[in-house]
Amino acid sequence: MNSKKVYYCEDSLEGIFSAVYDAWSDRNGHANNKICIISGEDLGDMELFTEYIYVKNSEEKIGKVMKAIYNKISEEAYELVCGASCSCDITRGDAIYRFLIIGFSMGSGVVDCLYDKNVMKIFELNRNVSNEAHHFKGFLRFQELKEGILFAKIAPKNDIVRLLAPHFSDRLSQENFIIYDESRNTAIIHRMADQWFYTNADLLDLEKIKEMTEKEQNIDNLWKAFFNSVSIKERENKGLQRNNLPLRFRGNMPEFR
Amino acid sequence: MSIIIQEDMTVQKKLEVLSDAAKYDVACTSSGVDRSGGGSSGIGNSVACGICHTFSADGRCISLLKILMTNECIFDCKYCFNRASNDVLRATFTPEEICSLTIEFYRRNYIEGLFLSSGVLKTPDHTMELMCKTLRMLREVYQFNGYIHCKAVPGADPVLVEMTGWYADRMSVNLELPTADSLRMLAPNKTRKNILRPMKQIQIGRIENKGKAAFNRLPFIEEESALVLPDNYKNNIAAPASVLQDVQDIIAADSIKSSFGVIKAPSINRGFVPAGQSTQMIIGATPESDYQIMSVAEALYQKFDLKRVFYSAYISINEDNSLPAVNQGPPLLREHRLYQADWLLRFYGFQAAELLSESRPNFNVLMDPKCNWAIGHLEQFPVEVNKADYYTLLRVPGIGVKSAQRIVKARKTAILSFEDLKKMGVVLKRAIYFITCAGRMMYPVKIEENYITSMLLRVKEKLPFDMDASTAYKQLSLFDDMNFTAANAQIGSFL
Ligand code: SF4
Repeated sequence: MNSKKVYYCEDSLEGIFSAVYDAWSDRNGHANNKICIISGEDLGDMELFTEYIYVKNSEEKIGKVMKAIYNKISEEAYELVCGASCSCDITRGDAIYRFLIIGFSMGSGVVDCLYDKNVMKIFELNRNVSNEAHHFKGFLRFQELKEGILFAKIAPKNDIVRLLAPHFSDRLSQENFIIYDESRNTAIIHRMADQWFYTNADLLDLEKIKEMTEKEQNIDNLWKAFFNSVSIKERENKGLQRNNLPLRFRGNMPEFR
Repeated sequence: MSIIIQEDMTVQKKLEVLSDAAKYDVACTSSGVDRSGGGSSGIGNSVACGICHTFSADGRCISLLKILMTNECIFDCKYCFNRASNDVLRATFTPEEICSLTIEFYRRNYIEGLFLSSGVLKTPDHTMELMCKTLRMLREVYQFNGYIHCKAVPGADPVLVEMTGWYADRMSVNLELPTADSLRMLAPNKTRKNILRPMKQIQIGRIENKGKAAFNRLPFIEEESALVLPDNYKNNIAAPASVLQDVQDIIAADSIKSSFGVIKAPSINRGFVPAGQSTQMIIGATPESDYQIMSVAEALYQKFDLKRVFYSAYISINEDNSLPAVNQGPPLLREHRLYQADWLLRFYGFQAAELLSESRPNFNVLMDPKCNWAIGHLEQFPVEVNKADYYTLLRVPGIGVKSAQRIVKARKTAILSFEDLKKMGVVLKRAIYFITCAGRMMYPVKIEENYITSMLLRVKEKLPFDMDASTAYKQLSLFDDMNFTAANAQIGSFL
């Protein structure tokens, strides 16, 4: 009998692809393999009779997996995998692996197999990621800093800042803006009439956002005034409000401060 | 007329007064048009699916800066807070104030755009002109490329309506009340004709803007509209005479064929009312039945190509002999049932006359309209999930648009089982009485009306407010003058 193997990989699409490559090529039997993402310190309970392998990222393996998905499955499948990799679900590495096993055996038709739980899982992860990104398109708030730069701070569950970037770059093409993901310490930076880029947020001066200019205070007040007077007293329904706008989004929204 | 005007009102005070006055308008969506940003200049884009930016304490989505241009109004609609005969604080925005509020809110991602309505200041023409000027300034001076919804003022010159239509994404003319009689009673300064005429004008403008001849045309079906029905579902209004009376003026307005303004686009041409038009009517202020209301909505969808009809549960603001005294709060559950039925008209291929009839003119408050319909048509069930066409699947309780689409897709590669359906989002608790998978029902169930009704009533329904169906039902039973007694007697036997 083959032994069980757990492949630990870096928390990124690249890490998952490298692990998929290794798990695929060791001929241990897919059922005996598992891909886990290293997140934080806790690696979970170690089991007996299980081999633990730490996968290092490899440009070559990443490229091969990417190409194989494109050529042997489809572009749509590739996009689904990318979407799923942004999810916060800790099992996403293994979920992608299971999806690819079916994909490589049946080709582009895999995306129609919604009755298969591994395929459905990838769709669910995607739905979850794109729902959250859609929410933040509405719930994200910019604050204008002294220099006229627009600054937004968010704390999403999934890794979505890069999904927000094209939307806001199109919408606010003539603005300098920053979207900062405080849970991952990453950011999107957009310069007026230029392209956006994704970066580690160490270079940001987060002290600056604590000062609020007078103009900003004024607009903040106008917004709150509008927000309060537009609600219909006779229909008040905080439960519905909470369903539609869960508390976790409200931390960075001026109307709830 | 009593008008209290405060000199030197701050923008914040104006905003408070004029958003408070606009809050009863329910049509606050930003959907219907996809437009990317200006690229090298300007601000803003538009997303067809719509984006909610926040939710107010009443649980409703806020996506637009929803304000009135002014609440100084010469009209005296009985249900309205701003009617001329009320003593309320009056304010009027300048176009510049509206533009800078819109831009500053938009930059901070508070809003998707502007929703501009208005009371009638001096004359309908004067008001429409002010609104048009505001939109034009926002588009041309501030280069705003985001979403704008603008009201057309009933009675305004068609040329002004036309000009405004080139700057707005969506326009709406409120029907206000379901029938012409009710309108006469509660909104004496408005006429059905003044409302339907701009509606028709906007429809014709949209057709011509797409390069199609608006005249000599058969009922117009848009390519992009969500519902393209197969032929056997297409039908004209097949309502009995009593209901036909209610929609008579709508059908008559359909024959308005004269050209209106000067069809000429401004320099930056975004199209003429590209996101289409909507309307709104107040529910529960007047005695129309659900059947009358749905028939009116259906006629509006068919004859005016409206994108949405909104229903607004009547809220008692003014005391007046001609208004019902509603102490129980707005009839929210009834409003909810109407929205569900509206959904069935637009996306499920239902007709009003299938859902309701003269002998059963109101929806069953305890059950959603689709379940209610299915129970009345058990002879059409069960249907085989692996074979039934898309529109037949849509008629099964527990199967929605998404799950029907998934079923049609997934059954290409496999024969579906109940377990599969569950994974695809079908609500089996509702669906099992109406479907077979590979020829078998999930459990051997009696296909019998009373039995299935009582089973379906046990499935808890998610309602958008903090009340369960039974308390809401108590609330509704107070509307005796609206024929709910009859409906309730029927329901009573299932309790
Ligand atoms: S026209 Fe009628 S509904 Fe509109 S603001 Fe004036 S009174 Fe109110």
